[in-house]
Amino acid sequence: MIKNNRIVLMALLFLIIFTSGISGQEEIKVRITEGIPMIPIALPQFDYTDNSLVNDRVIKELYETIWNDLEYSRVFKLIPRQYFTYIGKLDHENISFKDWESVQARVLITGKVEISEGDRIIFNVKVYEVSTGNIIFKRNFGARKEFIRLIAHRTSDEMMKHFGEKPYFTSKVVFVSNRDRNKEIYIMDYDGGRQKRITFNDYIDLMPSWSKNGENLMFTTYKRGFPDLVKFNLYSGRTDMISSGGVNYRADWSNEDNKLVYTSSKKNQNAEIYVREMDSGREKRLTFNRIIDSSPCWSPNGKEIAFTSQRTGTPQIHIMDEDGTNVRRVTYEGTYHDNAAWSPDGSRIAYVSRIEGRFDIYVLNIKNNTITKLTEMAGRNENPGWSPDSRHLMFTSNRTGSYQLYSIDYNGQNLTKLTRKGENLMPKWQKVD
Amino acid sequence: MKRFLVVILSVMMIVFLFNSCAKKVKTVPETTKVEQVEEQAPKVDKPQLTEEEIFLQKSLDDINKEGNLKKINFDFDKYSIREDMKGILHSNADWLLKHQTVVVSIAGHCDERGTVEYNMALGEKRAEAAMNYLLNLGISADRMKIVSFGKNKPLVKGIDEDTHFQNRRDEFIIVKK
Repeated sequence: MIKNNRIVLMALLFLIIFTSGISGQEEIKVRITEGIPMIPIALPQFDYTDNSLVNDRVIKELYETIWNDLEYSRVFKLIPRQYFTYIGKLDHENISFKDWESVQARVLITGKVEISEGDRIIFNVKVYEVSTGNIIFKRNFGARKEFIRLIAHRTSDEMMKHFGEKPYFTSKVVFVSNRDRNKEIYIMDYDGGRQKRITFNDYIDLMPSWSKNGENLMFTTYKRGFPDLVKFNLYSGRTDMISSGGVNYRADWSNEDNKLVYTSSKKNQNAEIYVREMDSGREKRLTFNRIIDSSPCWSPNGKEIAFTSQRTGTPQIHIMDEDGTNVRRVTYEGTYHDNAAWSPDGSRIAYVSRIEGRFDIYVLNIKNNTITKLTEMAGRNENPGWSPDSRHLMFTSNRTGSYQLYSIDYNGQNLTKLTRKGENLMPKWQKVD
Repeated sequence: MKRFLVVILSVMMIVFLFNSCAKKVKTVPETTKVEQVEEQAPKVDKPQLTEEEIFLQKSLDDINKEGNLKKINFDFDKYSIREDMKGILHSNADWLLKHQTVVVSIAGHCDERGTVEYNMALGEKRAEAAMNYLLNLGISADRMKIVSFGKNKPLVKGIDEDTHFQNRRDEFIIVKK
């Protein structure tokens, strides 16, 4: 009986601990990704129908890109290539699934590359369930050779869709680079491929972010000599002034694209948080004080906003409701925090903390209030942002002497350098449904 | 009438004849004297330009290069005016009071140690602090603009405290004279 009482007490205590604090958000959609075994996949070399492709880098690039995508996903695990030597050459018409089962593959991806007219190729891909030999999906992708990486990412996206994951391999990352002398806006593939300059205005451009549909960017530009917030349409090239007067920066579009939260000092020469309805242009000011409030970002359900506030003396991460009420402090350790980024699944908030002059990236797990340090003792690490599936982050670090973009898993594994030219900052990953 | 005309004509004839006769007789004396041809320039004083006129003749770039308005520096993570910077603000104010047409842009800057985002706000606070100080010294608000560059425009490169100190600054740029 006494033992029973103790258990009840413990349970109550746990309940109190977990329901109090900052974990009081509603409707957090948490997909439990930890601990789920990855799906073993066999990806044998692709066949080609035309001998002119024998030494063509196209096949290698297609194959390697798909391999890297699937490995990056942490959803799939690729069977090591040397295992394939135990198995005879793949016969597309008569696949021996028993062989693939013997190397523990659950899924088999086969591909054939054909040359069509001119500079175009066709990639014929079939994906099988090894245990039954059933086709999971098959597709034919045709494109000019220069778009070979896009075909690879499309193939990887199909894999993600068929296994219930977000297809983010064709999504883009926007960032700032000074590789052409001035700080301008660039975009690239998620893996650092196909980097492309977007703005050519010779003024400082900073802190870009995406609209959900991927058509518009919001960023700060010094075009008029002052830091104004503008909306830029990637396809029409049209620029619209969104907010000017004082400083205007760090805009974050809500998941429905209908609202924008950003920092501005237009009314009182002091950085405050504003929410703007994109259709009507109506604005609501959420913070009212003489200290700095900045760097807001939406919770994925649009009901809360994480931001940096100096209201307790030093910059700390806080959360408030979307109407500006119910402000709660999130960070306590250290005296300098900024760059809050809420994971798309709602479960985590990444931020930077400066401790003894070092900037590192931390991830707060809202479910259990635990903090993980993602980067350690290697240069300055800033501007964390999440992948659409919340399994990866991108950030900027000067660990090699200059600021470059890196990708890292949410648990600190698989660090990958993505840029090399000039200095590269403020990566922001496009949203994907 | 006719008679009158005849008389006039004959008088003119006589005068003419007499004149030509006299010329023939006259001789020009030899001389070694050189006539000095000189023109005395009229003594007109070029009017002295007033200080204001000289000022207005210069370009904005030149005026800014003269450095009449001095930078002020800040403490780490702070935007309050340091005691030792107040003198600079006073002399900046004196100069602005003497040059009433000048409009100045106060640009707040930060060292590289903060985040881009927070430094945007901090740079503005630094610019605002100087503006408020100058307001109290009688410079009217419509003669001052503020702008924050955060840590986007460091003055010097480096990682030591002296570099950071030089980069944590307000610059006073004359944008209208």
